[in-house]
Amino acid sequence: MSMRIALIGLILVVLSACGPGKKPDDQAFLESLDSAKTEGPTISEEVIGDILQQIPSPLEISMILKESGKKYNVTYLNSADNRAKYNTNYKKALNLGIYGTDLGYTNIYEQNQDGVKYMEAIKDMADGLNIGQFFDIETVGRLATNSKNLDSLLLITTQNFNSINHYLQTQSRANLSVLLLTGGWLEALHVTCEVAKANPGNKELQETIGEQKIILENIMLLLSFYKESDQNMASLLNDMDGLKKVFDKVNITYTYKESTFEIVDGVMVIKDNSSSTIQITNEDIVSIKEVVDSIRGKIIS
Amino acid sequence: MSHMKKFIFVVLSVFILSTLEVIAQCNSEAMSNQCIPKLATDFNFLKSYRVEKGAKEFVEYSYVFTKGTQYMINICAGGQATDGIVVSLYDSNRNKVASSKVNGQFISAIAYPCNTTGIYYIQYTFDGSTGYCGGSALGFKR
Repeated sequence: MSMRIALIGLILVVLSACGPGKKPDDQAFLESLDSAKTEGPTISEEVIGDILQQIPSPLEISMILKESGKKYNVTYLNSADNRAKYNTNYKKALNLGIYGTDLGYTNIYEQNQDGVKYMEAIKDMADGLNIGQFFDIETVGRLATNSKNLDSLLLITTQNFNSINHYLQTQSRANLSVLLLTGGWLEALHVTCEVAKANPGNKELQETIGEQKIILENIMLLLSFYKESDQNMASLLNDMDGLKKVFDKVNITYTYKESTFEIVDGVMVIKDNSSSTIQITNEDIVSIKEVVDSIRGKIIS
Repeated sequence: MSHMKKFIFVVLSVFILSTLEVIAQCNSEAMSNQCIPKLATDFNFLKSYRVEKGAKEFVEYSYVFTKGTQYMINICAGGQATDGIVVSLYDSNRNKVASSKVNGQFISAIAYPCNTTGIYYIQYTFDGSTGYCGGSALGFKR
């Protein structure tokens, strides 16, 4: 008899060790997240994750601006002082993305004093969304004090944001991940439009803006999954539809040609023989900038 | 009584063996992290990818590449250099742009100076792999 009781006890111990049991602290943490949950998207989170991972890093655009010799201008960015205004998860997630792009911009231009302000704003937004644990402000702050650490700074910041996005998706909070990436993308587009305005006729900048038509389609697709369950995201989708109407005038054509390659120091270096043409006018740029400013104005106010 | 002891022994054995199996499972996340510092020094890190054979014969990710930007994708695996893991790149129309297996040789990194902005599919397949487990990193430079 005592052996049977011991056996049942052993099996229960084994099962509880394997099961999805939660510690009291974990439970409290998960409950605290409930306020951020929505009714749910209209498509599987796996599909949403697949689309989210396609969105390019805003760092790429900041690098384009720096490499093409455009000067740093902090007035293009959302003031870090605005962070106190953002009291809802919707605004926090969008502005976390915006501040993330702003931090990347300050980092690439090695403007460390401004960068520290954006790090603090990011930490505030992330803490408010219960994801502050992924942003290691001490390490990032230390790296930012020396321009020799730029590569490490960019690496850690990118890793932090990747971890945040991954975590949100595993916690069924991909809606916040969508907002974070939307905010980051919109800010990068806003900064590019500002630089284009200051450099009228710059073909490279105009093409960079025109290419965003491809990303906009993905952003709108992601937002559309939440339009039934989240009024804020439905409203943002409506605003993005206004932007799409302007981007519809941009024409992108592709010509495919098989690529070739050579091996250089053990690396396969591809020669892309395909090409694309982007037809976009100065008027299109002005119209895009107007709509972007309007959407961004609502988000950062 | 002896049956009961045997049963407890079996339950404990199954538990211990399953725990060991979990420990021995593919740690593709660690391998993808190992790949990040192996990107060429002038490339900025963008994404790390886990490459682990599941139900499908291949593992696929996608990313929007930008015209004028050069991308690098590398492969890391335990033991041998790439352990038969091949990365292939497809453009938005599913035209093959590159494959890291050429003339029977497995190349561990490809560099792609992009000439056409669009969605690209980064597909990993297993060709004679023993572990079916690895990682990969994507970086960019202007």
